[in-house]
Amino acid sequence: MKYVIIGNSYAGLSCVDAIRRFDKTGEITIISDEPYKAYARPLISYYLEGKTTDETIWYKDDNYYEKNDARTMFGKTVSSVDTASKNVVLDDGSIVKYDKLFIGTGGVPFVPPLEGFNPASPMMGTFTKLNDAKKMEAASKVAKNKEAIVIGGGLIGLKASEGLRALGMHVTIVELLPRVLGLALDEISGQITAKRLNKNGIDTVTNDTVIKINLDGTGNPESVTLKSGRELIADIVVVGVGVRPNVAFLEGSGIKVDRGIIVDKTMMTSVEDIYAGGDVVVTYDVINKRPNIIAIVPLACEQGRIAGANMAGVYREYPGGMGLNSVEIYGLPIITIGLTNPNDPSQSVFTYQEGETIYRKLVYSGEILVGAILLGNIDGAGILSAIIRQGAKCLSYKDEFLKGNIFSFVIDNEFEIYNINEGYAIRGDFKDLPEFSRTNWR
Amino acid sequence: MDKFKLTNLKADLKKGRTEIMLYPSKCDGCEGEEFHACIKACEEHMKEKYGKYSGARVSIKKKNGKFFPVICHNCDEAPCVDACMPGARYKDAETGWTLTNYKKCVGCWMCVMVCPFGAIERVEGSHFASKCDGCIDEDVPKCVSACKRNALLRTGIKNYSYERRLMVAKKMYGPYVKMHYAGIIKDKRG
Repeated sequence: MKYVIIGNSYAGLSCVDAIRRFDKTGEITIISDEPYKAYARPLISYYLEGKTTDETIWYKDDNYYEKNDARTMFGKTVSSVDTASKNVVLDDGSIVKYDKLFIGTGGVPFVPPLEGFNPASPMMGTFTKLNDAKKMEAASKVAKNKEAIVIGGGLIGLKASEGLRALGMHVTIVELLPRVLGLALDEISGQITAKRLNKNGIDTVTNDTVIKINLDGTGNPESVTLKSGRELIADIVVVGVGVRPNVAFLEGSGIKVDRGIIVDKTMMTSVEDIYAGGDVVVTYDVINKRPNIIAIVPLACEQGRIAGANMAGVYREYPGGMGLNSVEIYGLPIITIGLTNPNDPSQSVFTYQEGETIYRKLVYSGEILVGAILLGNIDGAGILSAIIRQGAKCLSYKDEFLKGNIFSFVIDNEFEIYNINEGYAIRGDFKDLPEFSRTNWR
Repeated sequence: MDKFKLTNLKADLKKGRTEIMLYPSKCDGCEGEEFHACIKACEEHMKEKYGKYSGARVSIKKKNGKFFPVICHNCDEAPCVDACMPGARYKDAETGWTLTNYKKCVGCWMCVMVCPFGAIERVEGSHFASKCDGCIDEDVPKCVSACKRNALLRTGIKNYSYERRLMVAKKMYGPYVKMHYAGIIKDKRG
């Protein structure tokens, strides 16, 4: 069996692990357009801050590819997929045959039409890859006025700003929405976050956008003009608006694409033997109850694993995921889970605030918790995300949750379960239970 | 895959494949004493073992006179491993334990966000997420030997503990921890 994995990141490697769990002999080829072995891509801002280094940024062990007997083709771009003859065509014209194909190509940064933006300039760019981070590191050294503009106040923009700030730049975030992290946070938490940013040398300009980058004689940015008419000095301009699924190479392949790749419950695309996972697919959103692109690491790993198991011949289904994210801004941890800005008036919202250090928000749909924001104190956040994903009824616990006693739900519910079979624990063999292979897994 | 081995306590112990089981009803939170014995023992041991990355990996939560020790349940297909962006959290191939390479941890709190048992703690000062490592290199984990009430117990009955956790998890967390048996693999492949 020839397995070909396009994409050498979370979804792709999770898929490799899952295949190797069930198929020890199949031939695995990993194709990636980057020349590096797998690295932790969301960590590139931490790389600029020095929290992760050239030694620790690598996602897997050094001998990961040898250990899993995977052939690697790094620095090669896939130009098309021939689904009829089961070939992957690379940009240099060479052909890789596959029996089962996994597409985990992730996202490409989205750049809105912007006058003067030239990604080839050493002082301008997007912020999703290690090379982008290295470029910014070099750019910050030659910046004359130490002024950087980050377009987009989402996660990418925020992380890029933190990285640039650590390089000694004064950063201004320009965000179209009324607050930073506008989709995940609400007004209060957005304000707290913005204050924290401002205190640490990152300015935020909201409800505004950059319409033009003014260039100097060498083609590098000099300043930017905002929609409101303001002009800001800029040595470096980073566009961190968001990512779009990387599906351009699938044109004409017959694989169904609607924004992202459409997959079924087994993560298979509309073409047999081709699977997909990660930021590139449209997955089922269990909170909003509709297909959605959710580009986060935990879901990429889950989807890769489900796809890998199915590719190796083990039937598994993916129940769908939900959006959740965690970020720390200068010592202020923020976790957002599920639906945080409800539009439906039937949904009820409960909040709790302690100055500018602690904020909690719960969104209930009837008796079911559908979303939460935890800011400042994040203990037990995972319990909330499990409750939300599960759809458990927990309205009676809202006061406990708001006070931060998230564990009270676990104590009440798990205490009983744990003690059901107490006298029964030290029984001997269970003849009918197969042993789970927990070894050789990752 | 087609080898169905049965569980065997002795064999599991020999292989070092052990788990720490919880019996919350036995826990009395070491009432009347200054410290919880398990927490103190863990704290000391972790300082010895990890140095900079110290701090107790077990905690006890209390509600209405009930005590509940919170400790890593060592999930199969652990959500914290999935969520870990730097790849610091990993499954150890030999023991099956979910371990952590703290040098890689950057403190993004993704694992705190997904752990359905709330067993991962954010250590603010040193900026890392700490989690129980099962003390697999010890004969008996320190928390277990410290517990006078036998509320924590080391067991080698992998299947039983797994089944039991699955039961708990399924009741609480549904499809999140759904697992297909090896038997299905067999069917599929003929």
